[in-house]
Amino acid sequence: MTVDFIFEFLSGLLDGFISSNSLLIISMLVPCLAIFGFITVYALVVIYAELKVSSFIQDKVGPMGQGVGLHAGKWGLLQPIADALKLLLKEDIIPSSADKPLFILAPFMIFIGAFISFIAIPFGESIIVTDLNIGIFYILGVGSIAVLSLILAGWASNNKWSLYGGMRSAAQIVSYEIPAGLSLIVVIMLAGTLNMQDIIKYQAGGIFNWIIFDNPFVPIAFVVYFISAIAETNRTPFDLPESESELVAGFATEYSGMRYAFFFLSEYANMFVVSAVAAAGFLGGWHSPIQGFMDSPAWGVFWMINKTGFLIFVMIWLRWTLPRLRVDQLMNVCWKVFLPLALINIFGVAIWTVVFNS
Amino acid sequence: MSEDLQALIDEAVKKALAGDDDAINGIQDRVTRSKAKAALVKAKREQSKAVDENSDSESIEEQPTTDNSEYIILKIAKILEDKFSGCIDGEVHSDFIQLKPEKWFEISKFLKEDPDTYFDSLQCNTGFDLGDGLLESRYNLHSMKHLHSIEIRIKVNIDNPDIPSVESVWRVADWFERETYDMFGINFTGHRDLRRILLPEDWDGWPLRKDYEEQETYHGIVVPKVKEGWE
Amino acid sequence: MGVVHGQEMVLNIGPQHPATHGVLRLQVKTDGEVISEITPYLGYLHRCFEKHCENVSYEQVIPFTDRCDYLASMTMNFGYVVAMEQLMDIKVNDRVEYIRVIMAELQRIASHLLATGVFGLDLGAFTPFLHMLRDRERIIDLFEMTCGARLLYNYMWVGGLSHDLPKGFVEATLKFLDYFEPKIDEFENLLGHNKIFVERTADIGIMPAEVAINYGVTGPNLRASGVNWDLRKDNPYSVYSKLDFNVPIGKGIKGTVGDSWDRFYVRLQEIRESVKIVRQAIDQLPKDGDVHQSMPKKIRPPKGSIYSRTESPRGDLGYYIESDGSDTPYRLKMRSPAFTALGVLNEIAGGWLMSDVLAILGSLDIVLGEIDR
Repeated sequence: MTVDFIFEFLSGLLDGFISSNSLLIISMLVPCLAIFGFITVYALVVIYAELKVSSFIQDKVGPMGQGVGLHAGKWGLLQPIADALKLLLKEDIIPSSADKPLFILAPFMIFIGAFISFIAIPFGESIIVTDLNIGIFYILGVGSIAVLSLILAGWASNNKWSLYGGMRSAAQIVSYEIPAGLSLIVVIMLAGTLNMQDIIKYQAGGIFNWIIFDNPFVPIAFVVYFISAIAETNRTPFDLPESESELVAGFATEYSGMRYAFFFLSEYANMFVVSAVAAAGFLGGWHSPIQGFMDSPAWGVFWMINKTGFLIFVMIWLRWTLPRLRVDQLMNVCWKVFLPLALINIFGVAIWTVVFNS
Repeated sequence: MSEDLQALIDEAVKKALAGDDDAINGIQDRVTRSKAKAALVKAKREQSKAVDENSDSESIEEQPTTDNSEYIILKIAKILEDKFSGCIDGEVHSDFIQLKPEKWFEISKFLKEDPDTYFDSLQCNTGFDLGDGLLESRYNLHSMKHLHSIEIRIKVNIDNPDIPSVESVWRVADWFERETYDMFGINFTGHRDLRRILLPEDWDGWPLRKDYEEQETYHGIVVPKVKEGWE
Repeated sequence: MGVVHGQEMVLNIGPQHPATHGVLRLQVKTDGEVISEITPYLGYLHRCFEKHCENVSYEQVIPFTDRCDYLASMTMNFGYVVAMEQLMDIKVNDRVEYIRVIMAELQRIASHLLATGVFGLDLGAFTPFLHMLRDRERIIDLFEMTCGARLLYNYMWVGGLSHDLPKGFVEATLKFLDYFEPKIDEFENLLGHNKIFVERTADIGIMPAEVAINYGVTGPNLRASGVNWDLRKDNPYSVYSKLDFNVPIGKGIKGTVGDSWDRFYVRLQEIRESVKIVRQAIDQLPKDGDVHQSMPKKIRPPKGSIYSRTESPRGDLGYYIESDGSDTPYRLKMRSPAFTALGVLNEIAGGWLMSDVLAILGSLDIVLGEIDR
């Protein structure tokens, strides 16, 4: 279901009514709206999941209520909607000493970074906005936009805590992109392509054909990638840029209302992107674990969402279990552990492939 | 006091001197018990005097505990009088040592470093307004090694409230003295960082002095007066 | 290449900051993440405790002591009534003493649970905090059962208690202890042996014994530095001399003696000891005895002064009371343990990273209500 498909479908339907240029714009807007809708709905679901999972871990009940009304709905289902409404209705404050244009720009930039990553994520065999031939590379590239916006937010707020948050996030995200990228090189080497759909198609045929089970080095690559991905999305135990008990709220200290909601939303959107890349790159994407069992294109969406959802659950689980690292320990782990490990993995996989698979 | 009560007290004091504390604590009547305790203190003082007379230098042999604090206070007062003659203000009391402020810094150093006294821990510093234009700073010292403690009091005139600071001897005195300064206006000379600690920097007056009167306004805010009775 | 020193920046941590446990302002000089000097500014919670005490009668002081350390109100009451009873020479009966010890030790468990939990929270571990709060809630239920209040109890009175134990209290307490004892191991595993937690606390903020004594640091913080000093053992008041318990001291299991991890671990061990004390005290609790028996009709202590110390969850809690023979104190001074603990912060935390400074502050377990009074 790419943009080309929509364009052809619409031009067949509305032939002669609208010019082809307008049609192209419309067919580009349709997936945009779809992605925006998806992110919103997904954010509501994952906020609810975060509340409930954390409640389960912390031995409390979490949001609860009795039916619709002033309560949070049955099982607290309305809680994320109430949260979203609260954020939207809050007063939007811009500090008088803030750098106004940059301050306003930062939350949109971070959201754009998360948003445009979605177009290269394959949700199913034919459900992808644009099947880029450099898909995985593209996602890694546009994911880095987040750093710029965090530094912008930290600088523009004109607040020392924000500045600390911005500085920390710059150091952290830039560093962790390296082991994450190097681990994905393993996937690219095995699949022999940068195209997301082709990487997934390479893993067809049951659970043992998934890249993660390809050879003994790949599980290590998967773990390195996943931990680096958590660090990239600023989640506990790597939430130094916004570490609540140290930096108040880090780069988001001065933000409120809608602008804060954008930071919030893009954090969750980024979680989905990195988990989807992990699911597509290592866990067989939209393939069923058992060949021939629920393995139709429609079930593909189910498998993709579920694999991604499981990884997001693991992220939530880790967040509510572990304390936070210190900034120098974070860097040590990255440069002294993950980077050598990722490099060794590349050599290991290369040698393994040459020796056993040829 | 009836004679049987006196006999009871004498007996309890005798037992207590032998080391049986429950003898005095076991007395049910409060008044009698306090009298017995007073008698015990007196008896101990006489005993220590006797010890002092018997052996001039080696009176420290007895294992000091917190129970015979009066004995320790007298002993330390004697040491101080020998070492810094004229440092003790007025007569020697049984439960505290009243010092003159002049040599307090040297005395504090001595008390901390001398192996016999070794007061390595300053427990508390209390400011005090005695009325009659006198302020007092009271120090409760404790030795973690010998497990004994004493109280030292230093009186100064309210017009010229200078006491040498012991902040460099016991670091804990840093904040204690700042608090006493804050509340009483006692000026600790030699303190490296004597600022108000609990009250704002620009507060007027010394609140815990008995003649303290609240300021009318503070930064334009009217300070509420003490209300007479409930409204 | 030498170390490049940038320009120093002055940063205000607080008065409103999640890690300051109340309203405390730390003015720090920072060079990047490294903090070179810390100047605490106090007094945001100053409520004129000592001035108030000079204007109210002796029994009216007790509710004020509650409000000083609002996380350990029972032990604050305890310290005050012990001082008053020494001043007035009152001997209370054993039932009162045992009930007081039970309450004080339950309070110590509650306070240490909060202290260790909040310490974890300062390091970003949210879950242990809520687990500990859950169990603290059960202790507070026991207090509510006893005196109706959940935070500020006003339970111990001079010469007695406000109420006797209610029916079923002993059973409820034993039930709680049976439930609670395995949980201590759970906390230890969940937080104490967590790799990240150990990395963040071991060898951080080392406080040598001499420094601790010189700065007047007491309580668990002093014991973590390896000094075996506990007023319940070394200067026993109430009935502590009849109870058998150990004094846990810091051994530097994960790092150096006196580091932040030791301070955490000593508190956890003290919870175990307190459980032991409560069990013994319940065993030895006399069946009869009126809790109002030795309460004086009018509290009018004889002329004189007293400095009395008790062991609160935060350390040596001293009351200096001077009486002029009237029914209001002439002067009442509280020597607060958290006040001295905060005083050592600049000494042990200067030169560490910002995250470490806040971890060290958390490990000292300060309560601003008691510092500012």
